[in-house]
Amino acid sequence: MNQFPDIYDLNAGDYVEDFVKWLTTDHMAVFDSIRDGILAFLLRMQSIISFIPWFVVIGLVFFAGWRLKGVKSGLFYTAMLLTIGFLGYWNDTLLTISVVLTAVIISLLIGIPFGILSANYKKMDNIVRPVLDAMQTMPSFVYLIPAIMLFGLGMVPAVFATTIYALPPVIRLTTLAINSVSRDMIEAAESFGPTAWQALIKVELPQAMPTIMAGVNQTTMMAMAMVVVSSMIGAKGLGYSVLIAINRTDIAMGFEAGISIVFLAIIIDRLTQSIGDRFKYEE
Amino acid sequence: MEKIRVENLTKIFGKHPHKALEELKKGKNREEIFNQTHHTVGIGGVSFSVFEGETFVIMGLSGSGKSTLIRCLNLLNKPTDGKIFVDDENILDYDKKRLRQFRQDKIAMVFQHFGLFSHRTVLENVQFGLEVKGMEKEERRTKSLEMLKAVGLEGWEDHMISALSGGMKQRVGLARALANEPEIILMDEPFSALDPLIRRDMHTELLDLQAKLRKTIIFITHDVNEAFKLGDRIAVLKDGEMVQIGTPEEILENPANEYITNFIEDIDRSRVIKAENIMRRRVLKIGRNTSAKIALEILTDSDFDHGFVTDRENNRIHGVVDADDLLRAIKEKLSIEAVMHTNFVAVREDTYVKEILEIASETKYPVAVINEQGQYVGRIQRAALLKSLV
Amino acid sequence: MTIRHSKGIFLFFVLVLMVFMITACTQEAAPEASQTEGEEPVAEEPEQEEPEELETIIFGDAGWDSLRLHNEIAGFILNHGYGYEYDVIPGSTPNILEGIVKGDVTVLMEMWQDNIPIYPEYREEGKVIELGTNFDDNAQGLYVPRYVIEGDPERGIEASAPDLKHVEDLKNYADLFPDPEDPGMGLIVNGPPSWAVTTIMEVKGAHYGLDEMYNISGSGTEAALAASLTAAYERGEPWVGYYWEPTWITGKYDLVLLEEAPYDDDLWNEESGYACEFKPSDITIAINPEFSEKHPVVTEFLTNYETSSALTAVGLAYMQDNEAEIDEAAQWFIKEYEDLWKDWVTTEAHEKVMAALQ
Repeated sequence: MNQFPDIYDLNAGDYVEDFVKWLTTDHMAVFDSIRDGILAFLLRMQSIISFIPWFVVIGLVFFAGWRLKGVKSGLFYTAMLLTIGFLGYWNDTLLTISVVLTAVIISLLIGIPFGILSANYKKMDNIVRPVLDAMQTMPSFVYLIPAIMLFGLGMVPAVFATTIYALPPVIRLTTLAINSVSRDMIEAAESFGPTAWQALIKVELPQAMPTIMAGVNQTTMMAMAMVVVSSMIGAKGLGYSVLIAINRTDIAMGFEAGISIVFLAIIIDRLTQSIGDRFKYEE
Repeated sequence: MEKIRVENLTKIFGKHPHKALEELKKGKNREEIFNQTHHTVGIGGVSFSVFEGETFVIMGLSGSGKSTLIRCLNLLNKPTDGKIFVDDENILDYDKKRLRQFRQDKIAMVFQHFGLFSHRTVLENVQFGLEVKGMEKEERRTKSLEMLKAVGLEGWEDHMISALSGGMKQRVGLARALANEPEIILMDEPFSALDPLIRRDMHTELLDLQAKLRKTIIFITHDVNEAFKLGDRIAVLKDGEMVQIGTPEEILENPANEYITNFIEDIDRSRVIKAENIMRRRVLKIGRNTSAKIALEILTDSDFDHGFVTDRENNRIHGVVDADDLLRAIKEKLSIEAVMHTNFVAVREDTYVKEILEIASETKYPVAVINEQGQYVGRIQRAALLKSLV
Repeated sequence: MTIRHSKGIFLFFVLVLMVFMITACTQEAAPEASQTEGEEPVAEEPEQEEPEELETIIFGDAGWDSLRLHNEIAGFILNHGYGYEYDVIPGSTPNILEGIVKGDVTVLMEMWQDNIPIYPEYREEGKVIELGTNFDDNAQGLYVPRYVIEGDPERGIEASAPDLKHVEDLKNYADLFPDPEDPGMGLIVNGPPSWAVTTIMEVKGAHYGLDEMYNISGSGTEAALAASLTAAYERGEPWVGYYWEPTWITGKYDLVLLEEAPYDDDLWNEESGYACEFKPSDITIAINPEFSEKHPVVTEFLTNYETSSALTAVGLAYMQDNEAEIDEAAQWFIKEYEDLWKDWVTTEAHEKVMAALQ
């Protein structure tokens, strides 16, 4: 009675598998060039980040914390970075940052325009919304494997998977932000006969900025949350250390790498948040 | 000259406005259409003209469709039906580009809630329209500063909007609209968010500005007193339809129906009615060289107690006499000039009753009305003055 | 708008919840059903000492198919032959091992002991009991697809490394296996970081001097390792990395194991760089000590349980070829190899299992 009737065997997954195989074999060139593009960006980023001496990085973070939030915060961030360094995770942290940063930048480049379009076109929004829901709820392992098939092992599929997971908030919040720009202001702007682009750049985006920055913050946090998962497809960095620790039931190592991720996340969260606060205007 | 002509303008809100439009054309009213189709008729077939340089006030209670109507004039609302001619061009035929140009060059709007951009400074707000037009940086700065000066906000240009009071905000809104040098300014209840004292200042300021600029202004309000104070002509809107259009005096004197009568009931008439509305025109002039005897005949033939003594050549008033004075002149063989009183009161035609009342208490004679050249045009009996108030 | 939208989401969740509840009910009900199908084995089993206290046997699923197949084979026989209920719990090998020690997991059908450094320790301490060898004819090491060496005319692939035989030959082919993330270096895909073999492979790499021109990079997870190989194979690209057999991958794809010196106990340590091939390791069956003691029937059955890498691969191939589910493959296997398992069980259990197969 409780058994679902075994009348028809739906193999939806097979089509997806065939599709992915078809992509990997027949459209190699496309994905290879995407991979090469992302990789070139990543490597450039990595070489820049690792070119900067550690004390300069700490100095910059202190300065940013100090200017954006206050001396106390600056010192706090400095202490956290020093802890990461003393725990021996400095290089891992830099690797993690380059993956996270790349994914965030790609997310923003895709997400903000998409968010704006969704805000302006109801039909597009109707399509984008369920896709975003799917992106956020689909267990990441489901697309990690296709990501490897398409982009090989390592940082590129990690960036891909991280982007998929981290993209939704910035799209959602950009749409929300543009939609909640005050009607009065939009009308006022409209009454002067601007082009759609002028209205967007001069009024809608600046007004939407605080909410969009909240989206950037969330996207960054989501990307940080993917650090361990993306190490499962071979991305080096803090997540990989956590993964090793988990698998070896090495509590000490797990804690050290884990706390480094937490510190890094706190610093990024607070800094992006206070950048967002800069864009808030009183009515 | 006719600047704007609106013909049979209709705006219906809902998913399929054209279906509802057919019902409207069949003669169904707002309520029936709403019950039947769930469409709201914002404006149902309105026609009017606005002349160049006049302040045209559209007055109505909330829900009367006045905001919908004004937004049709710059197409912030797209009308469902009808025509809007501005300088004899139907703006509904404009394509996107032409519409943008129209908004950039010809028409500007001032909003009830100011619609200022909180991320910009005062100056940057005023510059917005000029930026959109693509004006050079230096030029638009100069121009905006000039406008800020004109609305009395000199020195505030670098403040953020949040630092301003309500009245100042609307001055920025006004400056922003004026900066574009539009021929037409739409004002959507611009002062209703301000407190009464500031509102009065803004009225004065607007009247002063308008005296200089002579723009075509369409002004929306729900405040009767504001309408009668500012409007050269007033249109009364009710349930999306025009009830009456006319000058303030015409409306006061001949309300089209009970609705209007109720509407204007609590208006302060003394602020609306002017000398010219209640004076009797060029009646009973006594030439300064006329003989007292003839003058007495003229006076007694009329139903007046007093007569103004005027110069036949330039029609200026020299004094006022009554029958007793003339009798004295006859008896003592004096000229009229010798017996006339010169402590009479004269007001210009466009003086409001409120002011006349204040002056009239200082004299026992009727009030003389003169025109710009100082010529005698009419007189106001004290009784007429009081009657005008009820 | 937002309110209506969130209402939609809410309804959706309610729906999902209902589906879950229904599924949960079904799963609860299913074992009961199978118990009655088993012709009330509890009552008919006079030899059973504690007939009413049959614990559920929990098999560990560490994530690969051969293990899953063995889980189902053993599970089916224990279920229908002896009336035990069974369940499968997923987890990484180390976690499953911890589970066995604690009693949360009962059995691991494939204990790849070389990969779990802590296992021998636990075994010595008696925290887990090793029941026997499941199979021992396995292999592991560095594999390349055969087309890399011999080419594949059918797919239009030319042999790119015709002289590649020995692991040391890889030195000449670093260009062939480039690491995209590190231009100028080659890439040897290593196992997941949790496996002991991953460290061994690194030591080997250093010993053979491969680390000068190759990055020997861990693949994060076994799934990632498999996907990496699959993608390369489907594209016909060169690939070199750690793998082992039996797996469906080694069954499905034509791979070549690169040669090393024959296994030598003296070489198999870190100082000597593990400079020989892997000792064919005994893939054993590990069980929770308490359970083993309490259920001698199970212990006896699992001690007898012995297959081979080749046989396992046959089962896996059946699964791949027929797109069969694991349990279908297991039943097919039981039917096909009756002679093999007949001796592992009592005559009565044998009859019951055969009856259940009908």
